Amino acid sequence: MENWRRAWKRALSRYDLYLMLLLPVAWYVVFQYGPMYGVQIAFRDYIPVKGITGSDWVGFDNFDRFFSSYYFGRLLWNTVSISLLSLLIAFPIPILLALLVTEIRSQRFKKLLQNITYMPHFISVVVIVGMLQLFLDPKSGFVNLILNAFGFESVPFMESEGWFKTILVGSNIWQNMGWASIIYIAALSGINPHLYEAAMVDGASRLRRLWHISLPGITPIMIIMLILDVGAFMNVGFEKILLMQNDLNRGASDVIQTFIYNNGILQGDFSYSAAVGLFNSAINFTLLVLINGYARRKAETSLW
Amino acid sequence: MVNQQTIVTRRRSASVAGERVFDFIVYAIAGLIMLIVLYPLLFVLSASFSDPVRVMNGDLWLLPVGFTLDAYKEIFRYDAVWTGYRNTLLYTGVGTIINVTMTTLAAYPLSRRDLPGRRILMFLITFTMFFNGGMIPTYLVVKNLHLVDTMWAMIVPTAIATYNLIVMRTYFQNSIPWELQEASMIDGCTNTRLLLHIILPLSKPIIAVMVLFYAVNQWNAFFNALIYLRDDALYPLQLVLREILIVSQSSYLDSSGSTFGMTEKLLLAESIKYGLIIIASIPVIMMYPFVQKHFVKGVMIGSIKE
Amino acid sequence: MTNWKKKTGYLLSVLMLASAVTACSSGSDKEETSAGTSPSQAGTTETSDSDSNASNASASGFPIVQEPIKLKMFAQKSPPNGPYEDMLVFQEYEKLTNIDVEWEDVPTEGFVERKNLLFASNELPDALFKAGITQLEAVKYGSSGMLIPLEDLINQYAPNLKGLLEQYPEIKSSITAPDGHIYALPAIVTLGSGRTDKFWINQTWLNKLGLKAPETTDELLNVLRAFRDNDPNGNGEKDEIPLSARRKDKDIVGNSIINQFIGSWGLDQQMGYDLNINNDKVDIWFDNPEFKELLQFVNQLYTENLLDHEVFTQTEAQYIAKMGSGNLGFFANQANDPFTSKKDDYVGIAPVAGPNGDRKAFGKPVARDFGAFAITSVNKNPEATIRWIDYFYGDEGSIFFRYGIEGQTYNLQSDGKPEYTDEILTDSRGTGTTIGQFSPWPGGGAPHLISELNSSAINPKEVQAAQEALEPYLPKEIYGAPIFDEKTSKEVNTLRQDIDIYVLENSSKFITGALSFDKWDDYVKTLEKMNLGQLEKIYQEAYDKNK
Repeated sequence: MENWRRAWKRALSRYDLYLMLLLPVAWYVVFQYGPMYGVQIAFRDYIPVKGITGSDWVGFDNFDRFFSSYYFGRLLWNTVSISLLSLLIAFPIPILLALLVTEIRSQRFKKLLQNITYMPHFISVVVIVGMLQLFLDPKSGFVNLILNAFGFESVPFMESEGWFKTILVGSNIWQNMGWASIIYIAALSGINPHLYEAAMVDGASRLRRLWHISLPGITPIMIIMLILDVGAFMNVGFEKILLMQNDLNRGASDVIQTFIYNNGILQGDFSYSAAVGLFNSAINFTLLVLINGYARRKAETSLW
Repeated sequence: MVNQQTIVTRRRSASVAGERVFDFIVYAIAGLIMLIVLYPLLFVLSASFSDPVRVMNGDLWLLPVGFTLDAYKEIFRYDAVWTGYRNTLLYTGVGTIINVTMTTLAAYPLSRRDLPGRRILMFLITFTMFFNGGMIPTYLVVKNLHLVDTMWAMIVPTAIATYNLIVMRTYFQNSIPWELQEASMIDGCTNTRLLLHIILPLSKPIIAVMVLFYAVNQWNAFFNALIYLRDDALYPLQLVLREILIVSQSSYLDSSGSTFGMTEKLLLAESIKYGLIIIASIPVIMMYPFVQKHFVKGVMIGSIKE
Repeated sequence: MTNWKKKTGYLLSVLMLASAVTACSSGSDKEETSAGTSPSQAGTTETSDSDSNASNASASGFPIVQEPIKLKMFAQKSPPNGPYEDMLVFQEYEKLTNIDVEWEDVPTEGFVERKNLLFASNELPDALFKAGITQLEAVKYGSSGMLIPLEDLINQYAPNLKGLLEQYPEIKSSITAPDGHIYALPAIVTLGSGRTDKFWINQTWLNKLGLKAPETTDELLNVLRAFRDNDPNGNGEKDEIPLSARRKDKDIVGNSIINQFIGSWGLDQQMGYDLNINNDKVDIWFDNPEFKELLQFVNQLYTENLLDHEVFTQTEAQYIAKMGSGNLGFFANQANDPFTSKKDDYVGIAPVAGPNGDRKAFGKPVARDFGAFAITSVNKNPEATIRWIDYFYGDEGSIFFRYGIEGQTYNLQSDGKPEYTDEILTDSRGTGTTIGQFSPWPGGGAPHLISELNSSAINPKEVQAAQEALEPYLPKEIYGAPIFDEKTSKEVNTLRQDIDIYVLENSSKFITGALSFDKWDDYVKTLEKMNLGQLEKIYQEAYDKNK
């Protein structure tokens, strides 16, 4: 009782914070929670004329159809392995790049590097994939010509299952490392300069300053970004994969999202698409809740 | 102060050799990254001035082959590109202001550790990143609000990106000392004043990042345009771009005769795609230096001294 | 401390949830009622109105209606098309018919999504034009009353369509839903050469090397080897591409390179799928020994470097560029418009005979582009609407539809057939795009008749000659894809989501050698496991039903 009264007082004294939240919360209610009833479409056989709430319940039929596919195991494995590869390699690189950028002393070179690594983000995936095809072409692509010059045989990179994931993740890093490093550069610039000055007075080398000040300074944002990445575990940027996919690399390039694009969205099968989408989201959300809980206990940084 | 400075200088010279090595490594890695990134960029630039058939054949290395300005001439003839440009600039400008305002309004209170209910709110907000009603119910909401076929359809449904909200909240929470906020409140500062006069001036880097993130999101947005816009005069640039580019990437067309008229469109797309990418990215690329200005060490200290 | 914090948290969340719940329930109610009732409302108004409007619509001749009416149509705008409202053909047609069509033309990019939303949000137009309605959609929306049955309207008001249906009975079976209704109209291609891929060989190269056109697969091998080795383009480099193909053919599983040779092993494409019909028995040939032999042949082409190794990765643009370069020896394409500048180098030849003496060509059915036109339940003037579209299925109307106005956009040639004016044929934007500004047909999928009379653009004399070479080898009957009921169609999709990919992937690997032919038996066994037999049974039932 006493607790309640205090909580109420405390909330009341911060009424202006709630006022600030009013508009954003209203937006979430109208645009996110309002349409939320659409989730049930995954458990129904959606027929437009009957509406979402009027279509027949089919329980887990749409899920069964997906789970019973001959390719379910492969789709899951490809999705998971591409994601893991991205987390292991593509996640740390922007952090390293940000640290590198702050260590460059020449202001002009620093800015140049940032600007150049930032640009590829804006090249449409259609053009990126087109360039990959040109660069990696077995006959005329420069990569293979270099291989030939060293006496190696040409590798049909784009037609190979073995190379697919490397090329996909590698080109993603190339395209997005600069973009993804921005948030860390911003966080680095928010570190209190007194800390560096004090360390210099103590005679700490640049590497030590990097390790003991810069890195801890951006740890909270690193953890949050990691949590968010883990929460997007099952989303693997399917538009690019679809463009890179062909019948020879399909064994490595068929992921859940391309599957649902071909069998659900293109066929206008809303319920099927929604069911597979829900499956993905459920995994993502579970992972997020787990890692968030872990981060809260271990690092005292978390989403909620 | 003077004393301290001399000590620092002395220590610096002591470890000057180590510093040199460190610098060398830094510059070597940076130079390598620059090269790796630069080559494909130059390729796009050169390709936009080259004969498209020769580019397709893999003849282009670094400098344009069969130099031509045809691609740009063709693009300048495309009215839709320019209407799209104008629309996108408008949507990006208005949209970003609304985005950043809304996100700040949500991110700041949610960063306050003394706000009752903040964890449950954060949970509910994060939840929407994963579960949503899908295209149809959202469309019905937008329709019922009479936003369909207006520029607001490009702005209101995407007013907040939860991802950005989380990033901004994290910054508020970690980069602005809590003691500072407490002290201000003891001084009798209201929360609104606190936000406007203390927090925001200290948050220039993150605001710059938010402006950039949202502006680029708006710049690249096409799906909502696809769904909500009817009038071609409202189409944003990316929709026009996609219409041109996607056709160039299609692996096949229906071979049964309906290709007539498509072949020429395909080749056209092939020849202008590089130029289009450049023309379409110039404004967002030019934005970066302005954002970058705010990533300067010591923003914090200056403000605190005020 | 934490306790009260928790409690307020819960309170707040309950509040938020409550508001969310009310928001969703009101939203869903609205959705439900609007979706549930309005079609039937529309249905009733339609019946009451249609009597009065039927008198407005005349049974034949122009104008179609005495009192001007408005129709809303939802249409697909392909890349070569200009805005529909500016199209000369429709502006003229309005004067002729008294029907003012208000177009909602949506670009191809995003068209599928928009079409789905149209039905989902129940904002139906009066009709859908160039709409690419799938068979499943026709069944779904037809049986739920959003699309209306057209067969009675066709009988009473559409003499051109009625005539075509009588002349080509196979059209009817491929557009009639399992419940016996026709919900959507296709494009109808009576022009033989509009339904086949021709086999183009480089005659200039043949002449130069003193070879004659190949008649068998063995001769073809020799010709291609000569193309590869003997420098027919005379530039001193071995840069000739003896054989290439587009990456994939729409609707059909196999790669085009496979399709190019199926006839030489007696394989066919019926019912819009890779299957033969022998004595009324349906045979999906993915597991047949003939298919294995065919793959072995293509594998030989691949390993001997006769087949372009880019067939699995190239885009349509790259393929077109290759055709246009004149540096290709042998390939398949419907017409010669992608290589107009080199068209004198190529002639169309008959299919080559296989080792077992099989020599067949395959073609597409007369009814093409299923679901090109449909009328919805909100349309108050279905009679006028069907008359409006029927004109384009007649000789006069289809010429008007494709060519516009005589003297302005086309002229009649000496043989009485129309040809576009020179300004159009030489326009710098390209012929297709230029035509696309006044008629919607370029880009494909428009509901109309394509016949000998109106196809100068896709049927020049070289193409006609190529078609003549094919003609003797074409099957007598070509069945279109069947329309399954909803349940069956779900089953078919579930089966095909695995089988199609499996065949595509493995046939490609057999061709490149990534998969050895020792594994053929495993391949066949896996297909059995994927229930190929059940798929065959479903197609058999569909065939029996329509026979």
